[in-house]
Amino acid sequence: MENVEKQLREEAKKLLADKKVDVIVGYEEGTIPLQTSPCFITNPDDTGKLVWNSFCSQNLAKYVHDIIHQHRESQVRVKPEDKTKKVVGVVARGCTTRSLVIHLQERQYGRDEIVIIGVPCTGYVAKRKVSNLVDDNEILEVSVNGDKMSVKTAGGDKDIPFKDVIADNCLNCHFNNPVVSDIMIGSEAPPMDVDREYHDVNKFEKLSVEERWAYFTKEMEKCIRCYACRNACPSCYCKVCFVEQSQPSWVGVGDDPTDTQVFQIMRMFHMVGRCVDCGSCVEVCPMGVDLRKFLKKLDKDGFELFNHRAGADLDDPPLLSTHLMEDKEDFIYEPEEQS
Amino acid sequence: MEKRLIKKDALNGIISKLSGEMPVYAPVKDEDNVLFKVLEEGMEPLVAYSNTRNAPKNFFFPQTETMMRYMRTEREIKLSGEDGEAREAILFGVRPCDARSFILLDKVFDQEKYKDPYYIDKREKTIIVSLACVQPPYSTCFCTSVGGHPMSEEGADVLLTDMGDNYLAEFITPKGEKLLERMGDLPAADGSADEKKKELSESAEKEIKSHIPGKEIKPWLDDNFEHPFWDTIHQSCLACGTCTYLCPTCHCFDISDEVKGSDGKRIRTWDSCMYWLFTQETSGHNPRPSQKQRWRQRLMHKFKYFVDNFDEIACVGCGRCVRYCPVNIDIRKIVTDISKL
Repeated sequence: MENVEKQLREEAKKLLADKKVDVIVGYEEGTIPLQTSPCFITNPDDTGKLVWNSFCSQNLAKYVHDIIHQHRESQVRVKPEDKTKKVVGVVARGCTTRSLVIHLQERQYGRDEIVIIGVPCTGYVAKRKVSNLVDDNEILEVSVNGDKMSVKTAGGDKDIPFKDVIADNCLNCHFNNPVVSDIMIGSEAPPMDVDREYHDVNKFEKLSVEERWAYFTKEMEKCIRCYACRNACPSCYCKVCFVEQSQPSWVGVGDDPTDTQVFQIMRMFHMVGRCVDCGSCVEVCPMGVDLRKFLKKLDKDGFELFNHRAGADLDDPPLLSTHLMEDKEDFIYEPEEQS
Repeated sequence: MEKRLIKKDALNGIISKLSGEMPVYAPVKDEDNVLFKVLEEGMEPLVAYSNTRNAPKNFFFPQTETMMRYMRTEREIKLSGEDGEAREAILFGVRPCDARSFILLDKVFDQEKYKDPYYIDKREKTIIVSLACVQPPYSTCFCTSVGGHPMSEEGADVLLTDMGDNYLAEFITPKGEKLLERMGDLPAADGSADEKKKELSESAEKEIKSHIPGKEIKPWLDDNFEHPFWDTIHQSCLACGTCTYLCPTCHCFDISDEVKGSDGKRIRTWDSCMYWLFTQETSGHNPRPSQKQRWRQRLMHKFKYFVDNFDEIACVGCGRCVRYCPVNIDIRKIVTDISKL
């Protein structure tokens, strides 16, 4: 990791010094254990604060989209000949690069507006998993040494196998190496346990409709509608989200359970073929709602029905905006009868 | 003030007896989260917990509250109030920082000029039993920097302090004293309990690890509405509502009508200065059009405007926003950075 960090800082510094990018989006050290914070560097001398470790959980593609679009808005009243382009350099692991690919596929910005600094990834730490394993004692210090994590808590010290605290989405990730990059840092990361990718979804699919609905409603009851999930998601970039539209108003603003359910269902269906399973929505949720169970089902359908993996290849057309003659259609009718 | 001792193993019995008489809301483990929930038969409150994930403000200032209902007929519009008044209830196990937040919220919702009947009704009928932080639960706690104390009785009707074998129960307000009558016979505490509490209080204060210059930044805030510093804190903000929704003192709200056919209700819902719709005007104009202005509002409201209006900082130092901000925007760091400018 040390080496990766060192190389990352050097490359970032070079990009800024050579004016290849206007800003570098990366991670910096957090103020509390298990945390890092997204950071935005414009001065080559500040690149020393970049870090790359197991606590870099956020998908930074979200910020790339925001920065470019804010810049474009600021250029609206500028004369065409004076308009400037803003180039964003971004520290990107596999899932982040997939989100960038989705942005490019959806024509959100041009390939020339981003510089991708690819980093290999062995999974990030899910904060909730750690807290649960130390009985909610306050975590004072953590360090990762190879395959174990040492945690110092208010209630004593504990060593935890690293694989027990890795986020679920990372455990079975197919794309822990960048799918596209301009500069690649470090060497390729070893593959994750990909065979079990749909293990949880398969189990969930076997439940009855009532059981699945009960699970969904129980999870939704935890939601406080803070919209952290939506705001952390790189694929949620609508200028005005349907939940905030008022003419007409699609969803009530109160805490009626059906409104929360509608918000989450609609958001999830907007993710078909666009969710890269980066886990950001789960990681940012203050209440621990299991959103992944449902998103992963949509991902599985995309893969099994159409052999589509969101953002895996720049040349792939977006799932829902293309039709191929060989596309399966049987689900349109009565899938139960057909099988 | 009445001071009694409660044997540690007797506390749960007392709570469960009370929960047969009126709703008792207490911290309980709900999957991964510790939350305030109404105690049902057989449920025991957590007493050795750190703090709840959410602040207890929603008992007096719910996330969604119906203010009135209306029904349109051909001739008139019929108005009606909400479902009935609040019931007497106990809020048990509130940490001193959160109890203090009620005193701050009172200044907004129960002031001379404006009285909020919805808030006041519930507030008056709820008895608050606080649990002193003999051992401050988090290294992110900073109550002493914003006018609080880990063993403070501010905002509590009854304060429980863990003395080892016993809880020292102090019945601070008339509401608290009335609760004592329902708690059965409890032995009186003598002077030695006071002595011990004083010692615990001093050591608890020393255990607070985070300190911020909360009061000291006011003069800077008074003069620096347009300072370039405001360009530096919002960049990583996701504009989600985690900090404001979990905060015990954030109290901005919005009012809207939900209409179904010819009937409707007027509801008050939590708002958040982190949302782009915050202070959006009907015309489409927003005086705080970007996250920069909204972040400045959050800081200013807590450390300047509230101080101007009520002579208190609108922060109790619970540290929830520090612990749960998804991108680790740390208000302690921001305040400290400002103090160095």
